[in-house]
Amino acid sequence: MTTAVLDLPSTRAEAWRWADLGALSAAAALGPVAADAADHFLDLPGARLLFVGGVLDVVRSDLVGVSIEPIAAGEHALGARAAGEGWVLRVGKQATAAPVQIVHVATGGENHLPSAIVLAEDASAQVVETYVGAGWSNRFLRVELGKAARLMRAVRIVQAAGFVSLREEAVLGEAANLVTTFLGAGAAGSRIDAQITIDGDAALAEYGGALLTAGTQQQECAVRVRHDAVGGQSHQLWRAVAADRSTASLAAAVEVARDAQKTDGEQSLRGLLLNRTATVNLKPELEIFADDVKCAHGATVGELDALALFYMQSRGIPTPRATALLTRAFVADALGRIADETVRDAFEADADAWLEAAL
Amino acid sequence: MTLLNIENLHAEIDGKEILKGLSLSVNAGEMHAIMGPNGAGKSTLGYVLGGRPGYEVTAGSVTFKGQDLLALEPHERAAAGMFLGFQYPVEIPGVSNVQFLREALNAQRGNRDEKPLSGAEFLKLARGEAAKLEMDAEMLKRPVNVGFSGGEKKRNEMVQMGVIDPAFAILDETDSGLDIDALRIVGDGINRIMRAPDKAVLLITHYQRLLDYVKPDFVHVLDGGRITRTGGAELAHELEREGYAGVAA
Repeated sequence: MTTAVLDLPSTRAEAWRWADLGALSAAAALGPVAADAADHFLDLPGARLLFVGGVLDVVRSDLVGVSIEPIAAGEHALGARAAGEGWVLRVGKQATAAPVQIVHVATGGENHLPSAIVLAEDASAQVVETYVGAGWSNRFLRVELGKAARLMRAVRIVQAAGFVSLREEAVLGEAANLVTTFLGAGAAGSRIDAQITIDGDAALAEYGGALLTAGTQQQECAVRVRHDAVGGQSHQLWRAVAADRSTASLAAAVEVARDAQKTDGEQSLRGLLLNRTATVNLKPELEIFADDVKCAHGATVGELDALALFYMQSRGIPTPRATALLTRAFVADALGRIADETVRDAFEADADAWLEAAL
Repeated sequence: MTLLNIENLHAEIDGKEILKGLSLSVNAGEMHAIMGPNGAGKSTLGYVLGGRPGYEVTAGSVTFKGQDLLALEPHERAAAGMFLGFQYPVEIPGVSNVQFLREALNAQRGNRDEKPLSGAEFLKLARGEAAKLEMDAEMLKRPVNVGFSGGEKKRNEMVQMGVIDPAFAILDETDSGLDIDALRIVGDGINRIMRAPDKAVLLITHYQRLLDYVKPDFVHVLDGGRITRTGGAELAHELEREGYAGVAA
C-alpha cells in the first residue's frame, strides 16, 4: 500500500517545525524489503505479538490476554491514519497482566497500526515494543489508566532505515502511574508525538528516553503533558546524542490548568554533540495557570568534557572507548528509569551497539 | 637504563611558550623531584609528557624506553608504562571507579597482548590496593572522583597507580590537599608501588613536605621553562629555607 502523494502537516506549524517529513515521505516510498527474520523478543514470559508490515503474524504470535479489535485513532495528523484494527490490552480491576512484547517489522512502504491499553482500577501491566526493518511505521496508541493503575512501557526504535512515527494519547486517573521510556538507536528517522493528560489527582507520568542520531538522520520527540488535576507529577527526562550531520530535537511541554494546584512538573532536556556538524534542538515549554505549583526545567547542549576524555586516555583507555563510556554515562539516567532488568539490559545493549557503530 | 630522556623541549599553550628548552634524563630505579615557583611550567611538563591536547611541542625530543614518546597517543603512552597523576583529578559522573579502572587496566593489557582480567580478579586487585591506601572499598563503586574530598581524590589516584602498576609515574602536586595522615599514606603508597629497580618517578611539587616521606635521588629546579639547577635531596631543604629566588640567584 503506497500513497502517491502524502498529505502531511506543514513544518511551518510550530508543533512540526523539526519534523523530518521528507524522510517520512521517502520511507513511505521505499520498495518492498525482506522481513528481518531475527528474533527480537526478549526473554520475558507473557504475550508476544509480531507484526510484519503492520499485519499480525498469527503463527509466530501468542496473544495471551491481548485482543485484536477496531480502534478509533483520534484526530492527530499522523495518528489518524492508523485507524482500523489493532491490538488492545485490557486489564481488569486489581489484576496484573503478564508482560506484553510487541515486535514491529517494517518491510518497506508504509504500514499503519492502532493500539490501546486500558487498565482498570489497581490493574498493572508491562509493555515492551521494538521497531525493526525498513519503511514507514506509523502507530497510534491510546492509554487509559483507572484509579491507581500502573503501566510500565519501554519502546525501542532500532529500524535500520525509514521512519517511525508514534502518536500516543494517554489519560491518567487518580493516583495512576505511567512510566514510558523510549530509545531511538536505529538508523531510521523518528517522531515521538504524545499528549498525556493528568486527569485524576496525584497521578504520575514519567515520559522520556534517549535519542541517538548519526549520519544525516533526524529524530525528535514532541510531548505535551497537561495537568488537569491536583497534586499530579510529571517528569520528562530526555537525552539526545547527535553525531555526524544528524539532528535530534526535544520539545517537551507542561501545561498546568488553573485548578491543578500542587503540581510537580519537571523537564530535563540535555543534548550532547559528538561532532560540531551535528545539531540538537531543545524546546522546554511551560504554561502555568495555577499558582501553587513546582515546575523545574533544564535544557543544555554541550560537548563531551575534554578534560574527562584526556583523564581516561591517560589511564590507557583509547579515545573511541572513552567517548563511548562518557556518552553512555550521559544517557544512563534516561535508560535507568526502566525498572525491569531484562528490558533495561536489552536497551543498554542497543545503546552500546549504537555507540560502537557511531564512534 | 634510561627510562625517559627529554632534550631541549619547547612547548606552548595557545601560542604562549611555557617550556623553553627543558632537558632531563631519568634512569630506572631513580626518584626525581621537580620543584619550582608557580608558573614555572611544572604542570605543563606533566601534561606535555601525558599528551594532553592543546599542549603543543614546538621543538625538542622526548624518548620513553627508547621510543619517540611524542609520536604516541595518550592511551598508548599509558600502555607503554607511563602514569600521570593529576593535580586536580577529574570527576566523571555516571562512570564508576570499578568500571573506569577495569577498562583502563584491560585496555593497557590488551595493548601489551596480555589477557584481560576477569571481573572477580580485577575486584580482588582493586580492593587490595584500596585497603593498602586506607580507602573504603565502597568508594570503588562510586562514580570516579564525584563527591570525593581533595584528599580522597589523591588517594584514588594512588589506588589507580597501584592497580595499573606503571613503570614510570609523573605525579603532579600529589601532596596538595592532603592532611598529615593522608600525606604519610600517599607517601608510603608511592614508595611501595614505585620504588623498584625497573621503575622511576618524576615528582612535581611546590613544597618539600612530601619529600620527607618520598626521598628523591635528584631534585631539579624548574624556573622560566627550563631546569636551572640540579642537586640531591639537600637541595629541597635549601629551597625551603631560602626560597626559589635565593637558590636561583
